[in-house]
Amino acid sequence: MFEIRTRWGRILLQVVVTLLVLPFLFPLVAMVQGSLAGDGWANYEAVLAVPGLWRFFLNTVVIAAGVIVLVYIVTMLAAYGFGKLRIRGREVYFWMLLVCLTLPEVVLLTPLFTTAQAFGFFDTYWAVILPIAALQVPFAVLLARNFVQGIPDELFEAARVDGGSVINGFRHLVIPLTRPIAAAILIFTLIGAWNNYLFPLVFLQSPEMQTITLVPQFFVGQFSNDQTKILASAVIIAIPEVVAYLCLQRYFERGLAAGAIK
Amino acid sequence: MAGTSIAERGLREKPAPAAGGGRRSRRLQPQGLHWILPALVLSVGLIYYCIWYTAVISTWDWDGIDPNPERVGAENYIRIAQDPIFWKTIQHTIVFFVVTFVLQTALGLIFAVLLHSKVKLAVVYKVIIFIPVVLAPAITAPVFRQIYAPDGQFNSVLEFFGLGFLAQPWLGQESTALAVIMAVTVWQWTGLTFVLYFAAMGQIDQSLLEAARIDGAGNFRTLIHIIWPGVRGTTLALAILSAIGALKTFDLPYLITVGGPNYATEFLGTYIYRKTIPQSHVGYGAALSIILLVLALVMALILQVRGGEKRVVR
Amino acid sequence: MKFTLQTKLSLRSLAVVGLASLALTFGACGGPVGGGGQGAEKNESQNQNQATGPATSGTVNWWGWTPTDTATANGYIAAFNKEYPNIKINFKLVSIPDWQAALTPALRSESGPDVFDMQPGSYVTKYGSFAQDMTPVITKALGEDWQSKVAPAGVSGLTDKNGKLTALSVGAVYSGTLWINKGLFDKHGLKPPTTVDEWEKVCQEFKKASQRCFVQGAAGQGFDQDTLQAIANSVEPGFWTKASKGEAKWNEPAMVKTLDIWKQLFSRGIMQEGAIGYQQYPDANNDFLTGKYAMVMMGTWYTQYSTEKAMTAALKAAGVSGAKPFPILPIQFPNVGGNTSEMFGDADYGLSISTKAKDKAAAEAFVTWLTTSQAGQQAVADQLNDVPALKGIEPNFEEINFVDPATQEAPVKDLLAKVAPVTQPRFALLNQDVQDAIFQAAQSTATGKATPEEAANTLQEAAAAAQ
Repeated sequence: MFEIRTRWGRILLQVVVTLLVLPFLFPLVAMVQGSLAGDGWANYEAVLAVPGLWRFFLNTVVIAAGVIVLVYIVTMLAAYGFGKLRIRGREVYFWMLLVCLTLPEVVLLTPLFTTAQAFGFFDTYWAVILPIAALQVPFAVLLARNFVQGIPDELFEAARVDGGSVINGFRHLVIPLTRPIAAAILIFTLIGAWNNYLFPLVFLQSPEMQTITLVPQFFVGQFSNDQTKILASAVIIAIPEVVAYLCLQRYFERGLAAGAIK
Repeated sequence: MAGTSIAERGLREKPAPAAGGGRRSRRLQPQGLHWILPALVLSVGLIYYCIWYTAVISTWDWDGIDPNPERVGAENYIRIAQDPIFWKTIQHTIVFFVVTFVLQTALGLIFAVLLHSKVKLAVVYKVIIFIPVVLAPAITAPVFRQIYAPDGQFNSVLEFFGLGFLAQPWLGQESTALAVIMAVTVWQWTGLTFVLYFAAMGQIDQSLLEAARIDGAGNFRTLIHIIWPGVRGTTLALAILSAIGALKTFDLPYLITVGGPNYATEFLGTYIYRKTIPQSHVGYGAALSIILLVLALVMALILQVRGGEKRVVR
Repeated sequence: MKFTLQTKLSLRSLAVVGLASLALTFGACGGPVGGGGQGAEKNESQNQNQATGPATSGTVNWWGWTPTDTATANGYIAAFNKEYPNIKINFKLVSIPDWQAALTPALRSESGPDVFDMQPGSYVTKYGSFAQDMTPVITKALGEDWQSKVAPAGVSGLTDKNGKLTALSVGAVYSGTLWINKGLFDKHGLKPPTTVDEWEKVCQEFKKASQRCFVQGAAGQGFDQDTLQAIANSVEPGFWTKASKGEAKWNEPAMVKTLDIWKQLFSRGIMQEGAIGYQQYPDANNDFLTGKYAMVMMGTWYTQYSTEKAMTAALKAAGVSGAKPFPILPIQFPNVGGNTSEMFGDADYGLSISTKAKDKAAAEAFVTWLTTSQAGQQAVADQLNDVPALKGIEPNFEEINFVDPATQEAPVKDLLAKVAPVTQPRFALLNQDVQDAIFQAAQSTATGKATPEEAANTLQEAAAAAQ
């Protein structure tokens, strides 16, 4: 964004960014240090040796995938609807959606539990996927609607004039052009689903359904607290999320210019 | 001024996406209700039952399990209005919202702008800023308690820079505990604003920027007059999310300071948790949640209206 | 209004959304209050005749916040399976901060635990209706005179106000002791304090030698309450229990003096700086075990760290590698108020059998084994965490390796002998609101926000309101 012409300018830029980033780095260093304290790398071995770890990992992946797919589809449809199409009372629906964001998770536990029981999906993946998705959708729609509104109307007019239907407009305009925000939504939905602790705890009963967020609990006791292994497990849990972020990086880079179909 | 006219030109050329729908002929726009149905069914369907449920039990005096709850009508709400802790939470929430929103927005935007420019090893910076978003508060909380302990790393760093006289028990004092919570929150969530601004920047018309440069606008002016207005939508969305988040905030204040000392870091979110789970005053907690919902809606509406107005005025 | 196709579509769609919400509303039958308590009462009367013969097979789902690591629980289960090889026990660890959030909906459903932990105090009131009466179970196991065979502290705490024994105690924990790093005292030529003046002096001496003195996580409710109760026991023995029962007021002079002494711990430099921002676990615990502080207030559960194995593990958990374990010793809480401070405690946890349990016989077999059998209670005792409920069971000191048996064995044995007759409760008599008020009193006096008198008055108001 900024144009730097001089060498000094470039150095200054680098220094400024580095200084700004240091306070963020500092606690991370403390955490990694903490995870290596005591037993050192054996902490990581201990975490990886937790019985059933790979099963937990798999469960988390399944849940996260389910949530992401559900949220992406629902959000893109809704963003298109809210952003570009005519709906009577559109704002009312939008605010109804937004209200879903406002309840704290802990308040949702008991009613969601009753719902899960009534519909028989208690102790299944759906008991966790549906609530998490339902909570992520308003956030995602808020962001995506914005983005879709930012796509110039002329593109849609042009497409329609060319004989395309509304659905074509969706497939060929909205989907490709919203890649940057879709990537952002994907990342945050992934984090929301991956890190979710409360819902899997309450709605998943059988040991083989547990998620990876439960792993640190193995090291927390009523009268003991193995910080080193908890931090090690935090690092291990975080790695896939960071990897996903790195992979999706390039989608943020691409702007409107790169994706527009004239 | 050169910058302003370019921005104005840009805005005039692009159809302004006003909140009430496109200014173009509405008759030509296709029906969209069925597009938003899945979202409504999923979120509204699932969550509204919870809202109704919460509203009903907010009129009870209930511990969550007793088969015979006592129905007390609006008594919970009346008690809330007289509850000094409740008002304290509102106060903290407002301060928290303003400070964290401003800092997160500013930092997120600056990082997005800087890292969009030619900086070496940009990936490293992006990862560092982003990792805090990914870490669960349950895990980062003890680390921060350690860092801000009287003999923790933060005070050591202060001493290192000769600011040792500032060293104090940050978490043990009412005056500074809230500041710590806000600092940790900014640390955790700046990655979010950064990612969103980064994505939004891609939407800014390159031709606008080029035109500005040709007109001789410096980097700073570009920031204020082109970039900042260009990401207005994201800023508004973030404001709404921040407001709701500030009202709901629970993890960090509960885990780091448990709402203390002496309720100095108590928020509506932590107060609701405290009332609902350990103290089993589920009805009271539900009433607080309904109030939270109303407050959130009001704040979001205010922000949306003000945000929309600004667009029209320009 | 003209009904165009658009309008019809939108109306239809609205109907779909509306119906969906309604369906969920009514589908989640019976509204907010369903199942749970009422169902429990019905089940109880139906199942008064519990399983008669011994169980030989079945599956039991056990939920607990303790044993706090799955390995220990699995150890108990393995030992149990030696006698009952065909009963499968699944232990689910739900740590105490999440306990209530997870257990409440689970117990109200049909897929909740068969056996679950129960703690004296507010949990008994809250979850007691979901537990079946254990009196017939323990009578069957130990005979009609069962009450003389188990520690009294574990029985009264787990009995609800209708006289139902909601759980069988696995073991008890007692508080009212301090644990010290003897090595540090010896190194600086100091003796453990027995009065508050001595305490202050010891801390000053330590400070001169750049050694830190006493650490407590005063940000936590439970541990502040322990300290206050210990102080109160020294100021006026028996007062705390009376106040808990409502027979005395919380703003009587005894309590004001207690809060004043508590405040002195801060003003006289005994409590560490920033204590009210500190958590007992992991912060204070790690600090003491790594030798940063010489004293910590912990109860009998801390005995588990007196062994070499546990101490080494704890040191590593605290992030210190290669450190040598040191002997820790229990000492009496200093006589800060003029009398010897009596210890207090109740059942750490008991096991309840859910009224909705499926394999009742199997559940009873397990619970009985862990809480009343020699083998089960011995396994509990050897953990050195809980004092076993069954009288006459002692930890197997032959197998236990103290860090320094010469200095540790005698005090530890003394401690265990001393707690056996203790009946003063710790949590059993208090409900959550009163505990919260106690915590507020502690914090406000510690920060100087309120005087001991003001804090005591506030506490009394809150306690009266909570009745």
